[in-house]
Amino acid sequence: MPNLLVCYKWTLDEQDIKINPADLSLDSSRAKGKISDFDRMALEEAAQIVEKQGGAVDALSYGTPAVKQSLKDVLSRGPNKVYYIADASAEIADGAVTAKVLAAAARKLGGYDLILVGEGSSDAFNQQTGPRLAALLGLPCVSFVAKMTLEGNTLTATRKLADCTEQVTVTTPAVVQVLSEINKPRIPSMKQVLGASKKPSGEIKLADLGLSPQELAPKAVRKSVKGFVMSRKNVIYKESNAEANVQKLVASLAAEGLR
Amino acid sequence: MSDDKFDVIVVGGGPAGCACAYTLAKQGKSVLLLERGNSAGSKNVSGGRLYTYALELVEPGMYQRAPLQRKIVREQIMMLGEGSAMTLDYVDYGFGEEVPQSYSVVRASLDEWFAAEVEAQGAMVGAGILVDGLVEKGGKIVGIRAGEEEMYADVVVAADGVNSLLGQKAGLFPDVKQHAVGIGVKETIELPDEVISQRFALKAGEGAARVALGCTEGISGGAFLYTNQGSISLGIVFNPEQAAKHGRQIQDIFQDFKTHPAILALIEGGTSVEYGAHLVPEMGFHGIPQRLHREGMLVVGDAAQFGINTGLIIRGMDLAIVSGLAAARAILASSSPAEAGPLYMRQLEELLLLPNMKVYANFHNIFAMPRVFQQYPQLANQALQFLFRVDGKVPEPMAKGLLRILKSNVSFGQLAADGWKAYRSL
Ligand SMILES: Cc1cc2nc3c(=O)[nH]c(=O)nc-3n(C[C@H](O)[C@H](O)[C@H](O)COP(=O)(O)OP(=O)(O)OC[C@H]3O[C@@H](n4cnc5c(N)ncnc54)[C@H](O)[C@@H]3O)c2cc1C
Repeated sequence: MPNLLVCYKWTLDEQDIKINPADLSLDSSRAKGKISDFDRMALEEAAQIVEKQGGAVDALSYGTPAVKQSLKDVLSRGPNKVYYIADASAEIADGAVTAKVLAAAARKLGGYDLILVGEGSSDAFNQQTGPRLAALLGLPCVSFVAKMTLEGNTLTATRKLADCTEQVTVTTPAVVQVLSEINKPRIPSMKQVLGASKKPSGEIKLADLGLSPQELAPKAVRKSVKGFVMSRKNVIYKESNAEANVQKLVASLAAEGLR
Repeated sequence: MSDDKFDVIVVGGGPAGCACAYTLAKQGKSVLLLERGNSAGSKNVSGGRLYTYALELVEPGMYQRAPLQRKIVREQIMMLGEGSAMTLDYVDYGFGEEVPQSYSVVRASLDEWFAAEVEAQGAMVGAGILVDGLVEKGGKIVGIRAGEEEMYADVVVAADGVNSLLGQKAGLFPDVKQHAVGIGVKETIELPDEVISQRFALKAGEGAARVALGCTEGISGGAFLYTNQGSISLGIVFNPEQAAKHGRQIQDIFQDFKTHPAILALIEGGTSVEYGAHLVPEMGFHGIPQRLHREGMLVVGDAAQFGINTGLIIRGMDLAIVSGLAAARAILASSSPAEAGPLYMRQLEELLLLPNMKVYANFHNIFAMPRVFQQYPQLANQALQFLFRVDGKVPEPMAKGLLRILKSNVSFGQLAADGWKAYRSL
């Protein structure tokens, strides 16, 4: 029976992030966390595999200390156990650093037939974790998977490319990067939510992964993040009669060159 | 204890449900608190004012841990006219001393905090779970249903808010009636804390609460405003029946209210961060359903239509907390689920919730007088305008002018009838 590992990211909910119109800086002080959207498909796919053929799912995440808020949530989506690396370095980690940390942790845990990741994180969407993880672990990487079946140690997957699909088979162990269309993640049921608080979680210390400071230094450095807003004119016509308002509106639209 | 059986299941993570679950878990009961929002508070729109005594009843000193905003020392009443407003400002620093009488609160953070307190007492808290049914056995309620799944308990506490599905499913009362509720629209507007303090003449940590009349285009209803830390909560409560007949959308009336010069001056430069609508129980004592319990179930908070609105004072959260506490005490004192209901009703008396509501029992009659919402606020503004106006022309004699203004708004007959009705209702 397969032993699966799903890597996920705890991201900020973009709906809660406000853009400050003055300087386009982002205000995420009120933003709540969530499991990155596409990682939910990876979790769902793993859950469906073990529901059909047995086996076990672990989840793994590298994040800032806020990642601890994700544990109950992720455990309500199927995994038997969650491992996490909570370290401030995650704040500035690039795709390479993230993959190195996850690969070191996956190696330490060992024995997985499949490692599933989402197509990209819902915040940075670099799409690097899957391929880099596979390279570091020396495993085949099957990316852009829209459909998959696992039989014994053979994974059959449909990859969706720009204008065609490709059928591939791979002998496990392998890393699979799933597309968002692969499934529709279920909303955890009451018993799953309640059961989650009884499931185990394990912290892995970054220091125990044997990665050097150089390896943990990101080469891609984020200089700034800025919001993109459509600038609006914010004109309100407040004449008491509607006709005058409409006339003014039409006049100003015409002045803008709209006809 | 088996995995799917608890002593008590509390449905709804608002103040009523949290106060109940907290008290029960603290006394060692196995408690499951279920909330449909992804976290407690996530379904609650913006802010309000919480009277501190209620938290003090749950546990003395508890309010000091709560994420309260500003302690209210300024009470204001505003009457809006066309381009004018009359504001009565009562400041009482005594309201802020010792255990301050009341605080402004932001519900999202208050509810989240309260649910975490419940969890810390050992209760199990399940968020993101919509309870959509009850489990009955032999005429008793023995559990709840969420989708395909069931959970069982000796007692289910329905703390599911004003439109209580559980109370209806239990056959305790019908669906909410339109005339029994108000519809509230609310907005949270962020502003720097110092700006808020300046605009309302407050020191850091102190707050103002304001009610306003004359902003509903004659629809029965009124507005409120609370100062928080770094934000202002602003809203209007309308009578939904009258609002439906009125023709204009309530959002538009609310928008006009926000751009009234006297209100705009308070919120100008702020950013709106939250907007929502919600129902409020409006009938007071007479709106409380005949039956608030069945064997295996108690109804608390807004679900039981507990609310007091005197026009100056809006109380719902404190009554929700007190009723949650009453239910918990009743459950703790009863040796079988059958006893809990009558004990709950007794606790509602002993904790003074029902006696409080009785005092204001006929207040909603005042809100049935249409002139309260338009003519009287207008009258006050026109009278003041007349008294303050100096333009070099010869003014009307004062008594004559005031009489003219009075008559242009109401007839003597109406005035007498309203006065009598108001007197009777008090
Ligand atoms: C515009 C407005 C202004 C107000 N201002 C004030 C004020 O200043 N001061 C004051 O004291 N009161 C005020 N109130 C009233 C106050 O908000 C309520 O009285 C109070 O919230 C009642 O608490 P509750 O716990 O009974 O219900 P709620 O706070 O409504 O909580 C019910 C909870 O149950 C959850 N729920 C509902 N159904 C289900 C279900 N089927 N399954 C799972 N979960 C469910 C909901 O998501 C919600 O979290 C105001 C109300 C409004 C609308």
